[in-house]
Amino acid sequence: MKTPTAIRATAADLPAEGASPPPPRRRSPRGIRRQLPTSPWLFAAPGLLVIGAFILYPFLSTLVNAFTDKRTLIPGEFVGLDNFRELLHDDMFWIGLRNSTLYVLGVVPALVLLPLLLALLVQKHIPGITFFRSAFYTPVVASIVVVGLIWVWMLDDRGLVNAVLEAVGVGKVGFLSDQWLLLFSAMGVTVWKGLGYYMIIYLAALANVPRELHEAAAVDGAGAVRRFLTVTVPAVRSTMVLVGALASVAAFKVFSEVYLMAGPSGGPAGEDTTLVMLVQRVGTGLTGRVGYASAISVVVFVVTVALMLLVLRADRKEDA
Amino acid sequence: MRISRRALATAAVLATVLPLSACGGSDSGSSDASGKVEGKITFQTWNLKAEFKDYFNGVIADFEKKNPGTEVEWVDRPAEGYADKISADAAGGTLPDVVNVSPDLVAPLAKAGLALDLDKEASEYRKEYLDGAWKSHQIPGTEGTFAFPWYLNTGPVFYNKKLFKDAGLDPEKPPKTYDDVFEAGTEMAKNSKGKVAALANVPAIEDFGRYGVPLMNKEGTGFAFNDAKGVELLTRYKKLYDAEGLDAQALTATPESAGHKFLTQSVAMNPGSALDLANFKKDAPSLYKNIGITDQISSTGKANMYVMGVMVNSQTKQKPAAVAFAHFVTDKTRQMQFAKQVAVFPSTEGSLDDPYFTKQDGTDETKVRIAAAESLKTAENYTPVLFSEQMKVELKNQVAKALQGKQSPKAALDNAVKTCDRLLKQS
Repeated sequence: MKTPTAIRATAADLPAEGASPPPPRRRSPRGIRRQLPTSPWLFAAPGLLVIGAFILYPFLSTLVNAFTDKRTLIPGEFVGLDNFRELLHDDMFWIGLRNSTLYVLGVVPALVLLPLLLALLVQKHIPGITFFRSAFYTPVVASIVVVGLIWVWMLDDRGLVNAVLEAVGVGKVGFLSDQWLLLFSAMGVTVWKGLGYYMIIYLAALANVPRELHEAAAVDGAGAVRRFLTVTVPAVRSTMVLVGALASVAAFKVFSEVYLMAGPSGGPAGEDTTLVMLVQRVGTGLTGRVGYASAISVVVFVVTVALMLLVLRADRKEDA
Repeated sequence: MRISRRALATAAVLATVLPLSACGGSDSGSSDASGKVEGKITFQTWNLKAEFKDYFNGVIADFEKKNPGTEVEWVDRPAEGYADKISADAAGGTLPDVVNVSPDLVAPLAKAGLALDLDKEASEYRKEYLDGAWKSHQIPGTEGTFAFPWYLNTGPVFYNKKLFKDAGLDPEKPPKTYDDVFEAGTEMAKNSKGKVAALANVPAIEDFGRYGVPLMNKEGTGFAFNDAKGVELLTRYKKLYDAEGLDAQALTATPESAGHKFLTQSVAMNPGSALDLANFKKDAPSLYKNIGITDQISSTGKANMYVMGVMVNSQTKQKPAAVAFAHFVTDKTRQMQFAKQVAVFPSTEGSLDDPYFTKQDGTDETKVRIAAAESLKTAENYTPVLFSEQMKVELKNQVAKALQGKQSPKAALDNAVKTCDRLLKQS
């Protein structure tokens, strides 16, 4: 494809009549090479500026701060690995790491499997199915603060759920006062809110599964469960990996659900604190320890990358 | 290879959702407070615009009229995240010239040299304010006073007469001291078979103060609430918790959730302010019919008070105008006007003797106002100015461990003091 620059260059270089034919020229005149390297950068500049200012700079800044004793209002000094050493002896850090890890273990399998089953249910073309698709997606668009508060009211000692449990003779359950029940309740909210989002991803993947495969399996005598395991699951496996990766990262960085349900102190005696809640607690405010909070952020980053690599590696092994 | 590079890039992007902003430098202030009052200044308030827009526009107009050549730009910030907003402004060098603060916000700003020392720059105004209020913005270990005292607040304890009666307690004799509270709470839990709790909150630093526990050492260099009296208070709370006299969700309660519990009549007592009466009337008429009002629970005879202040940014380029405006907003006339707008109390000398705070008119609102104004004459701010939000969380978590029986009250308070002392040194 010729650019206007290339056309100008060719016209200017036309040989005089009778002159011997010029030697064959390369397809990439020098003019093009001079122009091209800058143009893409100019097009990308606005995006790069935004990424640089709002992602790259804060990220690098966090990395640097992790090795300082910086406070909100006091510039820090380099302290080497002191912040990381302190982490090792900070009980709250280990509680945060435990809870964030538990969150991944509890939430990810549910968010990989349940939306797939939901997608299979609403995939069928039957009258009124659009209503159910929309209904399942509604929690995704709802504000997490509103969702969190609604669940707090429902799970309260005098809330709807406990009223039902008391009515059927089970008695009151301390969903919001027991450290483990509180964490599991928050996991439940995360799964409930995320179902619709991942369901849409699965719906797109299921649309690409050839119907003939199901028909052939049915002809061979495979039942619904068998067809699900041998046709559907292999066909959407790469989507399951994607969902697993996205859900793992989101679960490890959980903040809002736990903060709203367990309160700013992180549940009874802080036992439901997650790592990101800890970052917020120690790093913000006028006396915030920015350096120490940055060190925790770096740990979150490293674990996040490790989780992604783990999921993708598992996927590659399956491919091999 | 392609996938893992993408994965790394994605993870890098995701990890940056936790950015922590860098501190910024700041220019030094340029003028003396005694110079000519002129120029443009910025005034920041704490969640006041929605309710009091006309009042503040009037104050600003009056100031500008009195001081030709001045211009005041008013900005208001929401209550949520107010400290974070000030942090960001202070770190970025964009702190407004005049800022509405509380003592715990002033302390770090003063330590960072961002709060003007009024003892040096505006000492002539000191006599206009109540002595205790003026001192509330002094920081242990730092010379000076760093904000004009503004409005004071204290509040009664509301109690539910019906729940008291149902539990076999005399609704006309509400608890006044912690001894009364522990006795009534245990009785109430026993008689209601654990269905009604006396309180919805675990003890906070103010409770230790009102129980008579020394909160800091005399030098102000360390915390001292782990002494025998503090351990005694926590031990008694543990007994109340075991008897189900504290709400089951007290360990994670916030002031808002505790208020909600009182509104839904699942706890019998809750501290509040005169503002709450209107809410009860509107949101919980059945509670309002049974509402009882009593003094703050205190074993020292003194109530806890909250103090608001108005700080001048030491880096302001319009120091005379900023000091003059901060004083104007907090002077006797303006404070009386503001107190008549909302249920707060002036910190200026003699204002609490105004008939507005002493003369009954038979309404509940006036009864609460007069009782609060009376208690303010001896009240103390039981939250040390150096007690940060993180320290409050540490204390709450250690108290929760003691109540759950995971550690003894003594060990819990020792741990809390140790952590708070460490945070104090690091601040």
